Amino acid sequence: MNIAFYLLSALAVTGALLAIRLRNLVHATLCLMFFFISLAGMYVLLMAEFIAAVQILVYVGAVGILILFAIMLTHHITGATRERISSRGWLWGLGAALAVLFTVLLPVLLLSVLPAAPATPDFSPSVRNIGLSLMDPYTITLQVMGLLLTAALIGAVAVASTSVRPQDKPRT
Amino acid sequence: MVTLQQYLILSAVLFSIGLLGALTRRHAIIVLVSIEIMLNAANLNFIAFWRFAPHPENLHGVLFTLFSIAVAAAEAAVGLALVIAVYRFNKSPDLEKMNSLHE
Amino acid sequence: MSHISPILLTALIPLFPLAMALTIALLKPAWSRAAAGLALLGLGVSLVLSLYVLNISLHEPLQYGAFTWLQTGPLHIDFGVLLDPLSASMLAMVTFIGFLIFFYSSSYMAEDPDCSRFFCYLSLFAAGMLGLIISNSLLLLFMCWEIVGLASYLLIGFWYQKPAAAAAAKKAFITTRIGDLFLFSGLLWAFKDGGTLLFYNHGAGLLEADPVARLAGLPLPVFGLSTAAAISLLIFGGAVGKSGQFPLHVWLPDAMEGPTPVSALIHAATMVAAGVFLVARTYPLFVADSTALTVVAWIGGFTALLAGLIAIAQNDLKRILAYSTVSQLGMMMMGLGVGGISAGMFHLLSHAFFKALLFLGAGSIIHGCHGEQDIRKLGGVARAMPLTTVCYLCGTFALCALPLGSGYFSKDEILLAAWQHNPGVFWLGAIAAFCTSFYMTRQLCYVFPGAHRSPGHPHESSSRIIAPLVILSLFALAFGGIAKRLGILEYLDPGFKAPEESSLVMMIGLGLALGGVLTGYLIYGLKPLTVDVPDALTRPLGPLYRFLQNRACIDELYDCTVVRLWVELAALTAGVEFALQAATGFVVAGTREISRNLAFNTDRILIDQWSFDGLCKVVRGGGFLSTRGQTGQLQDYLRCIALGAVLLGWLTWWTLARG
Repeated sequence: MNIAFYLLSALAVTGALLAIRLRNLVHATLCLMFFFISLAGMYVLLMAEFIAAVQILVYVGAVGILILFAIMLTHHITGATRERISSRGWLWGLGAALAVLFTVLLPVLLLSVLPAAPATPDFSPSVRNIGLSLMDPYTITLQVMGLLLTAALIGAVAVASTSVRPQDKPRT
Repeated sequence: MVTLQQYLILSAVLFSIGLLGALTRRHAIIVLVSIEIMLNAANLNFIAFWRFAPHPENLHGVLFTLFSIAVAAAEAAVGLALVIAVYRFNKSPDLEKMNSLHE
Repeated sequence: MSHISPILLTALIPLFPLAMALTIALLKPAWSRAAAGLALLGLGVSLVLSLYVLNISLHEPLQYGAFTWLQTGPLHIDFGVLLDPLSASMLAMVTFIGFLIFFYSSSYMAEDPDCSRFFCYLSLFAAGMLGLIISNSLLLLFMCWEIVGLASYLLIGFWYQKPAAAAAAKKAFITTRIGDLFLFSGLLWAFKDGGTLLFYNHGAGLLEADPVARLAGLPLPVFGLSTAAAISLLIFGGAVGKSGQFPLHVWLPDAMEGPTPVSALIHAATMVAAGVFLVARTYPLFVADSTALTVVAWIGGFTALLAGLIAIAQNDLKRILAYSTVSQLGMMMMGLGVGGISAGMFHLLSHAFFKALLFLGAGSIIHGCHGEQDIRKLGGVARAMPLTTVCYLCGTFALCALPLGSGYFSKDEILLAAWQHNPGVFWLGAIAAFCTSFYMTRQLCYVFPGAHRSPGHPHESSSRIIAPLVILSLFALAFGGIAKRLGILEYLDPGFKAPEESSLVMMIGLGLALGGVLTGYLIYGLKPLTVDVPDALTRPLGPLYRFLQNRACIDELYDCTVVRLWVELAALTAGVEFALQAATGFVVAGTREISRNLAFNTDRILIDQWSFDGLCKVVRGGGFLSTRGQTGQLQDYLRCIALGAVLLGWLTWWTLARG
């Protein structure tokens, strides 16, 4: 059990780090997908198989591809090798992120009293129960989700459509 | 046995990595990628807490994560559409060039 | 009217002409024709009151009243009214002659457009003169003295558009002013040593026995005079100016620039007599020390002779009469100096009548001859203006002191007194009398007989002009004899002692008068006179004649000395003033520059640059600084959010840890 955890976590961390550090965008996206997959594995370890499946379907299958499409459409697969990939003031960003990790998140975690083991070790949710929960307490949330996705669909199409309005002259 | 704490530490680390990317990279798409990393770390947090919580049969954690994934997908779609649109205008995905709101 | 106090009536006498003067001054131009009538009315009322008061005074010799005008602490200045023979006789004479002359002027000045102004000034003069006469206080007398001087200035310069008239008015005023300075000094001294300015004040007045004795007793360190003599001489200085004695006589002949009625009233009968009146009024002070009287007599005598000599060589009708007036005033002063009040005042009163007559007659002649005043161009007036001729002859008769005219009696008194007290002065007066007859005869020979020597025909004047002439001729002939018979000399001066009759003096006097007439006739009257022939005296006297004709060059002498000195002083002061002005100008300009610079720089640098601009720079800099955070970079904002979240986390951690 533990080996799986450590292996998957190492994969996840590596994938994440590479995703944010690679110059080649497609390589970065690939590493992101590895990250997603490793997380899906985590979910399985945590007895949430449905979520693992959904993770693969949605993230790896849709979001990843979507990112690849976007990379393709922006024609900048690799940035110029002489340019730096980090923005101005990246040190501040590093500092902020490290501060968040080491001064806020970790102390809280390490100092909290957390249960060591799951309360019901053998529980695993069935898809049926998830479906029933969707219908019962989470009906409205489901509808709102649908609405949200519809809006996102329309919005994405509208924003990214090719017709350039006359007043939006592209900057040279 | 993997303790909750370990899951949470992993989640925190992944979140910070995502935050680092969002705060550091110049490319707009990579910033969106980092955001996805952050969201995933948060999902992991949810599932971990659900699993180790007293009444996992309520499935609250699972459903919440489900919705979180849905939202993240929608947001990724719209965000990438935005990046494409801005790229057409600026001819570059460089975030440093997108400073029209400056003084 | 018997229950009204005579003092009150006396006080009212000058107020009527004064009121009329004010009324005329405020008249609307449409009513200017009424000015003559108003003036006549005012003076007429004064005439009636004066006669009434004269009547009272004949019975009660001395009456007076006084009141305090100004008081500060122990010092108080009093005014008052005095009614004694001197005042009463003068009042009657001034109002009577004034009334006649006002009447004469209403016709003489009728065509003049400024006629209402003329009567206003005349009424003002009358008010001043009458006030002067009745004053019981030296200060009030001085104030009226000045009013009279002002009126004289205004009237001499009545036709001010003529430069000669304006200059003559100025000359008169300034010359009399010099005399007034002496009078004022005397006034101050009298107030200081005498303690009061009233003449009669129940034993404490200046002219009453005790104060006079005290003043006479106070010796002066210089000149060996007593205070009384010094004060009297200063007062006499004022009289010298006003009455045209040498050396301040120069204004009187020039004063003939004024209209003839003015010459008649002011410069023959009344104003010039004010000086004589003043000496007579303050006579007790003069009497206290004989030095003063001697000075008066000598100056009077010298003036009489000098003026008489100058008159011989004059060619202007009025100028001859003017010098005659100066000469007669000298006689009056001489009379006061040797014979006491009566002699001088009697001559003054009789002189007023015949001199006014002569001037009015001259006015009539000038009017009738269309403005011609040069006697060389006149002639034939007797045939053309018979009435005027007769009146003029009466006046001349009186002036020359021919027997039974008024002048005979009054001049006789003076010569008698002079022979007794001061023979030197007597001879001055005697020769002056000879000159008087001579120049008057000369004048008559030039003006009346023969043919008129200038173009045009003279014509007789209107009845309003003739009537006063006739009245005055009666007085000129009759006044002297009748008044002496009625005892005027005793009336004027209660302590009068008649000088001893001397037939020698009378013979000398009469002889000189007749001799003058005869000489004049012989030189001028035998052959008819023509214009181009020079005066018969020119060849015998030569340069002396020219000297006399030039008025003894006294004016030129003054011009070189006094006037020149004054002009230099004025230039000097102007220079000093210029220097002072330049200095202050420098200081002012300097201060202005300094303060302007200071203000400008302070304002510009301190306030504008440092304060205001500085503040603006600070604010702008602050704004600048604060907008440095607005980079427009997305990731900068994200970093801020992240750091903010960190801080928030710390805050929560800390709060939870504490509580």
